[in-house]
Amino acid sequence: MTILLPLSFHQPEIEQRLAALGADGLDQLDFGVIGFDSATTVRLYNEFESKAAGLTAHRVLGQPLFTVVAPCMNNFLVAQRFEDAFETGAVLDVTINYVLTLRMRPTKVALRLLASPGAAMRYVLVERLS
Amino acid sequence: MTDTGLQPDSQPDAPGIGEEYEALLQFLYLAPVGLVQAAIDGTIAMINPISAQLLMPLSTDGNLANLFTALEGVAPSLRSMCADFAPSYGVVCDAMHLHLNRRGDRKPAKMVISLTLVKLDETRLMAVLGDVSLQVKRDRELKQSDAWLNAILTGVEDYAMVSLDPLGRIESWNESIGRLTGFAAEALVGQPYSIFYPPDSTTPEHLLDRLREADENGWSLDEGLRMRADGSHFWGNSMISPLRDGEDRSRDPAFCDPESREPAYGLIIRDISDKREASEQQRKAAYCDYLTGLANRRAFFEAAELELARRKRSPRSTAMIMFDADHFKAINDTFGHPAGDAVLRHLAQSLKATFRDVDVVARVGGEEFAVLLPSTDLAAAALVANRLRALVEATPVLVEGELIGFTVSAGVAAMDDAISGLDGLIKRADQALYAAKARGRNRVDCWSPECPTYKDHLPGGINAS
Repeated sequence: MTILLPLSFHQPEIEQRLAALGADGLDQLDFGVIGFDSATTVRLYNEFESKAAGLTAHRVLGQPLFTVVAPCMNNFLVAQRFEDAFETGAVLDVTINYVLTLRMRPTKVALRLLASPGAAMRYVLVERLS
Repeated sequence: MTDTGLQPDSQPDAPGIGEEYEALLQFLYLAPVGLVQAAIDGTIAMINPISAQLLMPLSTDGNLANLFTALEGVAPSLRSMCADFAPSYGVVCDAMHLHLNRRGDRKPAKMVISLTLVKLDETRLMAVLGDVSLQVKRDRELKQSDAWLNAILTGVEDYAMVSLDPLGRIESWNESIGRLTGFAAEALVGQPYSIFYPPDSTTPEHLLDRLREADENGWSLDEGLRMRADGSHFWGNSMISPLRDGEDRSRDPAFCDPESREPAYGLIIRDISDKREASEQQRKAAYCDYLTGLANRRAFFEAAELELARRKRSPRSTAMIMFDADHFKAINDTFGHPAGDAVLRHLAQSLKATFRDVDVVARVGGEEFAVLLPSTDLAAAALVANRLRALVEATPVLVEGELIGFTVSAGVAAMDDAISGLDGLIKRADQALYAAKARGRNRVDCWSPECPTYKDHLPGGINAS
């Protein structure tokens, strides 16, 4: 019997592993995962993120990420990085420190922004720092 | 058949408190304005996403722990405005406009945030934030037409009309201009129209700028102090308009010859002293720094953009100086914030006394000041900067019986064709300032290509990782 090692936030080449996990697997992770498609519509929203934000997934899935789900990321620090990567066809894998407003509390987090040209899903990973 | 959804049997778990809480949370997540609740010292207790969207690019420490700290770079006087607000409940500021120069942004754009701050009680503040960039742009266009109406309709004490030649020299004397300004014909004819402006409040280039603006727009309007023959001042409004339209002018040989004394423009000066107080107060509220009375960031960026646009049309030298009070944090820590404020006010007075009226002197950050010098080259700007530096060093501030000596460092830069726009000029002045700091402070450095490069260190700058 093989024991699957859980993914960690900083794991290299995490994108393929996330894609392989499936929704149930994503719910086991100890960091937030938001997956969104080329139209920036949210397609994945794992349990960790749902608990942190206080929103059940059904309120979020199918909604546009930067205007409805996470407007706090709709600036050049986050949203524009995805736009730039999309336009130039570059690979995006960058981790930045940020502050989210989870349940209206300023919360320091690390965000890992992931996008690959041609990939169906793009990701924002959220690790709580405090 | 309709189902109201209220029948207990069809919905055994009627919306519980948990679901309502979630709906409320989402309501706040989605609210298209920024909402922040903070302690009276600015410590943030509650904050919604739009606030983070607007504030994160401003935050120099990558943190949203304190509202005042997050806004330090664009609204340095907020902390003292709050401290000075005596009532236990009330509006500390109402839709105050914060002007952002988004450095580090790939597509730099002017952004204006509106901030309303309400004191809820002795311990809590509530802030409402919104992006009003578009409204501000529209307002500016409206204000232009307001200026028109003001000029035409409102309480004019007296007015005069003269004609100007193609270079803005007064072409002929008449009774109205004699009455309004007290100038005799022989003192006036052939003089540039700046004779009606107090010395230092305009430059020969600005004089021509207004003529060019009149050519392009059909009119050019400005309001400010005007001077009579005896040196006395009045608050006036000047309108210049070309006497013929552009098509006529290009065919008319008189306009191709700069030596021509043919009348080319009409100048109307109106004495609107009555209106001055009202319009000054309005201007002050919008364009003045609360603590020092100098221009604020908004006034600075607007004036600088205008000057650079004029420079583009007709080239001239333009210089910028960035000043920073040395070891200001130590002054605050040693003598307290009121003493720090006194030092900033003192520095502001020294700046005001040293620079010309036509220079734009502004407080652009906590202890950082910027001066834009129209029609001034690098060497001349460095000279004045050094005069200010020496003045500050020689005059300590007296605060409650204690003499506080301090110094300033300055970085000087001049516009040239290698840089594009205001951002480039500010960056050079910043780099020179950084060099002055690095080389021991209390000194003036001019920008050179050898200036050390550095991570944007200014308040209001962006520390994107």
